[in-house]
Amino acid sequence: MDVNGAPSDAEIVARVLGGDTEAFGFVIRRYEAGLLRFATRMLGSRDAAADAVAEGLVRAYRHLASCREPARLRTWLYRIVTNRCKSHLARRSVGDVPLDEAPPLADPADGEAALERAEQLALVQRALTGLSPDKREAFVLKHVEGLSYEEMAAITGERIPTLKMRVHRAREALLKVLEEET
Amino acid sequence: MNTTDPRIHQVLDGELSIDALPAELRHALESVSAAADLLVAPVPGPSLESRIMAEVRRPASSYLRRVASWLATPHAITFRVRPVWSLAFAAAAAAFTLFFARDAGPQLGEHEGIAQFVGRFPDARSVHVVGTFNDWRPGTIALEDLDHDGVWTATVVLPTGTYEYMFVVDGERWVPDHLADRLVADDFGRENSVVIVRPVHR
Amino acid sequence: MRLGAVLALLAAPLTAQSVQSRLEGRIPTDAVPVVDSLVQVALHEGLPSEPLVQKALEGGAKQVPGPRIVAAVRASLGQLRDARDLLVRAGDQPPVRAGEVTTVAWALRRKLPPSTVERVVAQLPHPPRGPAIHAIADLVAHDFDPDSAAGLIIDAVHDGLQRDRLLDVSTAALHEVQRGRTRDEAITVVRQQLPNVPAPPKPERGTVTRARRPDTPTPP
Repeated sequence: MDVNGAPSDAEIVARVLGGDTEAFGFVIRRYEAGLLRFATRMLGSRDAAADAVAEGLVRAYRHLASCREPARLRTWLYRIVTNRCKSHLARRSVGDVPLDEAPPLADPADGEAALERAEQLALVQRALTGLSPDKREAFVLKHVEGLSYEEMAAITGERIPTLKMRVHRAREALLKVLEEET
Repeated sequence: MNTTDPRIHQVLDGELSIDALPAELRHALESVSAAADLLVAPVPGPSLESRIMAEVRRPASSYLRRVASWLATPHAITFRVRPVWSLAFAAAAAAFTLFFARDAGPQLGEHEGIAQFVGRFPDARSVHVVGTFNDWRPGTIALEDLDHDGVWTATVVLPTGTYEYMFVVDGERWVPDHLADRLVADDFGRENSVVIVRPVHR
Repeated sequence: MRLGAVLALLAAPLTAQSVQSRLEGRIPTDAVPVVDSLVQVALHEGLPSEPLVQKALEGGAKQVPGPRIVAAVRASLGQLRDARDLLVRAGDQPPVRAGEVTTVAWALRRKLPPSTVERVVAQLPHPPRGPAIHAIADLVAHDFDPDSAAGLIIDAVHDGLQRDRLLDVSTAALHEVQRGRTRDEAITVVRQQLPNVPAPPKPERGTVTRARRPDTPTPP
């Protein structure tokens, strides 16, 4: 338990492995939003991201016994969803679902500021989608999910210098695109 | 812009204080930070919890599992009998099981296995699986969505072996199985999913 | 779909039906004689013909134009020939088994390097090699080095693992990667476990849905 009384990741994993399927709901509620945001930024589509996250979490449940470090469940889940995103990207050319590259626009009723923010987000998401998947992954893990390079290495299986280089290249490419578009 | 001043990266990587950055470089720093801030916003939409939990719980509601539960679970027949009747009940239970096993599904042979096909198609009216196991004949193996949660499943007995397949949604949309672990180019510009059916009896 | 109904739907052996009767109405009319002739060529050369029929039926079902179906069937014939030649080169005595030709053709379609397949065939002289080939292809599809993957599976065979158990070896290696190991480390760890890699859950009838779900060697 943590100080708020919520079960720790290790406790939840133990409960699920002990047969309490419903305890997996804790895992979903705890990590769904972050994973969905990560996958949406990777795939450029909320629907495709929802598929990737759902598939990833179902797989995570089915392979939970192989999570040797339940205390690092978050890293493990990101790794799984990262793989699902890569699979989706690899299949995109043959998949049936065209990916909407721009996030949904804000409702005009939301006001001027929200509209402008939605347009900016669409611009940034487009620029992000223009990056190679490796650079996009590195940038999103670093700057959107706020992970350390060590955590990123655990997720991607890449070495830290490689990841740093990808993040740097991603920043440069993004800056270039954003400067051209604004 | 061909290169970005390395100090910008150092600040963004937490290796250098922002105070050490000349004013003329701060614009680029702010651009990256602003872009990241926009991307950090939560993605709106309904929770995936019910969808995922439905899939996680799915084995309990599958056709085969229900049949198997009927046949293999002792129920009251085994455990509630009085000892004096146990042999008679055991015989009756065995006869009951054998009788219904014949009617409920095939006895799997040495070279047969079970493949389960699962796909999520929330708005579909019909989903079929088509592949080398049924001569790519659409409409012969239907998936079912008994609880109308958009998750379509079919459990089928197949000879052991390797099969290529796709889903056909609403009779016209060909969709690869996104849960499949193996894919292979179909020589028509798309990819087939691949399932390896292993023998049930080992 | 009721269990067992599928069994009645399975394709009858080629010998029981003429190729033409299986193709007619399923692919464009003008493609039927060409595909039929390619099937006859395969039969004449001692190659398996069912993959060609399946490719044609697949193209027809996907409503691909006739010329593209013919091209795909012709390409499949070429793959079967390549597979047969590879088997002979690796030491199999002609006529090679149809099942082995199909397996090797499949491996080449899954982008396994021919040199790797040849090495596996040469070092595993006793068919069937299908599970071994699939296990290696599963690893290579997840960025394992082809030679390292082949070495692991060949070692597993030498340690007494056979047939579908070889798929458990690739699954175990992929699980190690999932756990954060590098691919080289995963191979080392699994090699040390041989032949005691975990088997999938025993398919009790009560859990058959979960147990018989196609095994998932990819990182989950």
